[in-house]
Amino acid sequence: MHEQPVKTAKSFVAGLIVLASIVTGTLLESAESESNQTVPKLTKSFDVAFKEFRLNNGLRVILALDHSAPTYSICVTYNVGSRDERPGRTGFAHLFEHMLFQGSENVGKGEHFILVQNNGGSANGTTNADRTNYFETLPANQLELGIFLEADRMRALNITQPNLDNQRQTVQEERRQNIDNRPYGRTHEAVIATAYANFAYQHSVIGSMEDLNAATVQDAADFFRIYYAPNNAVLSLVGDFQMDVALRLIKKYFESIPAQPAPPVPDVAEPEQKTERRKIIEDAFAHTPRLDIVYKIPAGNTPDWYALSVLGQVLSGGVSSRLYQKLIKEKEVALSASAGPDERRGPSLFWFSITARPGTDLAALEKLIYEDIERLQNEQIADWELSKVQMQLRRQRAQQRYSTRARANAFGHYAVYYNDPQLINSVQQKYSQVTKSDLQRVARTYLKETQRTVVITMPKPAAAKAALDDR
Amino acid sequence: MRRKALIRYSACIVACLVLGVAFLDPNLPLLKAQESIETPGSKVERKNKAPLSEEVLQVKLPKPVEAKLQNGLTVLILEDHRTPSVFAQLRIGGAGALFEPPSMTGLANVTAQMLREGTKSRTSLQIAEEIDRLGATLGAAGSFGSSQVVFSASGLSDNFDSWFALAVDVLLNPSFPQEELEKLKQRQRAQLRQQRSAANFLVNERFNRAVYGDHPAATVSPTVESLDALTQEALMRWYRERYAPQNALLAIAGDVRARELIPRLEKWFAGWQRNDVKRTWPPNPVAATSRKVYLVHRPNSVQTTVALGNIAIERRSPDYIPMVVMNHILGGGVSGRLFLNLREEKGYTYGVYSDFSALRYPGPWRAGGNMRTEVTTGALVEFFKEIGRIRDQTVPLAELEDSKRAIAARFALSLEQPTAILGLAASRVQFRLPEDYWDTYPGKIMAVTAEDVQRVARKYLDPDTMQLVAVGDGLKIQSVLEPYGPVEVYDSSGKLTSIPKQ
Repeated sequence: MHEQPVKTAKSFVAGLIVLASIVTGTLLESAESESNQTVPKLTKSFDVAFKEFRLNNGLRVILALDHSAPTYSICVTYNVGSRDERPGRTGFAHLFEHMLFQGSENVGKGEHFILVQNNGGSANGTTNADRTNYFETLPANQLELGIFLEADRMRALNITQPNLDNQRQTVQEERRQNIDNRPYGRTHEAVIATAYANFAYQHSVIGSMEDLNAATVQDAADFFRIYYAPNNAVLSLVGDFQMDVALRLIKKYFESIPAQPAPPVPDVAEPEQKTERRKIIEDAFAHTPRLDIVYKIPAGNTPDWYALSVLGQVLSGGVSSRLYQKLIKEKEVALSASAGPDERRGPSLFWFSITARPGTDLAALEKLIYEDIERLQNEQIADWELSKVQMQLRRQRAQQRYSTRARANAFGHYAVYYNDPQLINSVQQKYSQVTKSDLQRVARTYLKETQRTVVITMPKPAAAKAALDDR
Repeated sequence: MRRKALIRYSACIVACLVLGVAFLDPNLPLLKAQESIETPGSKVERKNKAPLSEEVLQVKLPKPVEAKLQNGLTVLILEDHRTPSVFAQLRIGGAGALFEPPSMTGLANVTAQMLREGTKSRTSLQIAEEIDRLGATLGAAGSFGSSQVVFSASGLSDNFDSWFALAVDVLLNPSFPQEELEKLKQRQRAQLRQQRSAANFLVNERFNRAVYGDHPAATVSPTVESLDALTQEALMRWYRERYAPQNALLAIAGDVRARELIPRLEKWFAGWQRNDVKRTWPPNPVAATSRKVYLVHRPNSVQTTVALGNIAIERRSPDYIPMVVMNHILGGGVSGRLFLNLREEKGYTYGVYSDFSALRYPGPWRAGGNMRTEVTTGALVEFFKEIGRIRDQTVPLAELEDSKRAIAARFALSLEQPTAILGLAASRVQFRLPEDYWDTYPGKIMAVTAEDVQRVARKYLDPDTMQLVAVGDGLKIQSVLEPYGPVEVYDSSGKLTSIPKQ
């Protein structure tokens, strides 16, 4: 058992967030300093100061102190997602994520969560198209535990046939629970399958049952070697620890993990879409139709993406938003309405999703959406609409600042997606640079018919009949 | 923003110390498995090589400032200046759905939701625009089974005065405009059908009906008829009679100064007068005395959604603390026996947990999850096996200590969120728990013995009287359920039915 300096009981100091020590910069002699950079001074009261290092094996390390609660979060974000899968192996990146909880050299199957939970923490992993992340939040006296757990599975994952078969079943249940047994569960898959032409983003993260069945232990071993290498990952640590202690432990556990050749970079480019695409699917559970309209837009963290994000908020952020007021309150044609971009490292989608009220004329509903888009193309939005979005974003960012996990995950996100962890602070500025003219311009550039995919989810006749009887 | 790239949570999790020999309750019906694909050799294993601090971090929760305004309103304020944010929550006791007339289910919730649909000086749209312009949030709800309505607002401290004043206007000067009421009822009617498409709604509806019986908490949704009965007069009367400051608790956390804020709260709430409302609590629900099985036939289902349990305890019960430990061992999350067995070793499900509700009146202990249709038989066997095991065998010491440590150590994490600390304080006030309740809570958890765990398991988890609800494809699962008792079959609209012959 390793001994870790134990932090004595510590009472919560309601008050200052202690960030000063990192801004002034404690000297870290042990640090690898290839990319050792200190962030400029705080400009806003809830900006996050951090330090960045790179180990010899290429592992990128981001550390941010916050002594306001006796906790910390660790997050390891791997530069691999469902976009890296090959045809015939859809769902593999996510299935593999489950394997990281099935044991490694010094941790038994299932023991990861036992260790975290029995010591007061929580942990999980998530997979999306563009990355996979793993994170733990723990009391501050268990700093070494979190670092040990993440390093052990990066170093020597234990992949066995029985554990792969077991998690394959679990993932198939996850698919049933979240997709196959749920109203509108398959709509998302139908939309991306129709809108995208490139396999990378065309298939779902959860994958097909058939492909999940086809995955082998050899696939898992190859995937681990190629993608789960220190030079393909970012480790972020946020919370109540000493910078030098944390860095020493990170080096102790991670530095001897060998680097691997850089993995292939998937081609996510989309051929130009020339005409509108349409599809109708049937849903065994839905009682009322849903209308999904998506448009091809640029990748995240581009000026136009930020403008489109503001546009989404104007359309559906809050009760005063345009779609809520028009479709739900005034015309009473929708049960719910949302609009906004998804965020991908490659071509993204601006997504309208409207659940119709029973009996609504769908063609008329679709036309109402296009009228709203035309209005955005032809008229500038009101000043108050733009300033409201800025205020809403500021509040959301301020409220997210309490959680060490939210910050650790955000560092991993910005570092892996855009190679720019400083975005955790500068993203606000990106939003505030958006002007009313930008909104009009992006509405004209991207929200046009030739870029459009429309998917209508219809209740299966039996379900639809029940809905009509009930009215 | 609204739609992120699809993220799948893998609540990949856990298991525990594999303990003793699995014990099969001899009273259980012997069932032949529909499918018994168990994964050989996928067993939870502990290597015990991780570097650990043996100490449980002792934390002292900061105490909010507590005050009572002249009109009787109780106030809790927790200062936290880490970010320019403020959260406010007002819980009004006696105004919740628990007290509404049976012919008017939805009255408490609709009254609460109507608050932001118009005041003496503002229209619905003006309120919506002002709130959004200020970047604030504002909402009110009266959930079914609750004795309270909960009114929440949050925003930046930069413009706290503006959004808080607006929230106070909405709370104290609602006008319940007729036209907005009709629109709100219309929106709710449209949701009534829609909610029936989800298996979760159907299982909650049937389970609450089964365990609560005649108690008002049996209801989880209004009906077309009850919505029709909600008139402007009914709402105004409910508001006038039930929204009383002496029964309310205002909790505020964030970037405020308590000493400066309290005198201002006096001014803001000066117009809110005490009244003489009397709360008549409905008789407590009592545990069912015989096992009953409910099948909700949901055609095309590929999973069976299971819930089983019975009425257990109220919040102030002396058994509350041992129940927390017992439930944690059995199904309280990622290290629970149910999860270990049904997910990590059997692969029947994505997640399976248990929980219990303990309020002013006794609520149910409940276990459940979603299992693929083909393994419904095996899953039910394992549920009852685990319930039998925790009743009939003393929990091994190591497992008990791990569970208690998990509960006590987790306390530190609540210090990250001011709303979590405030929530603990608010429930202490609401349930009239002792002043030092949360300070001594970890100690009380650590004092629970294996005998305590077994005692509460035997007392509240009786397989012979549990109510069992299954939502799924009735053609495939009705025969699987029959060995457990008489099966009542419902369709997804909530009507008593029978399964059509194949």
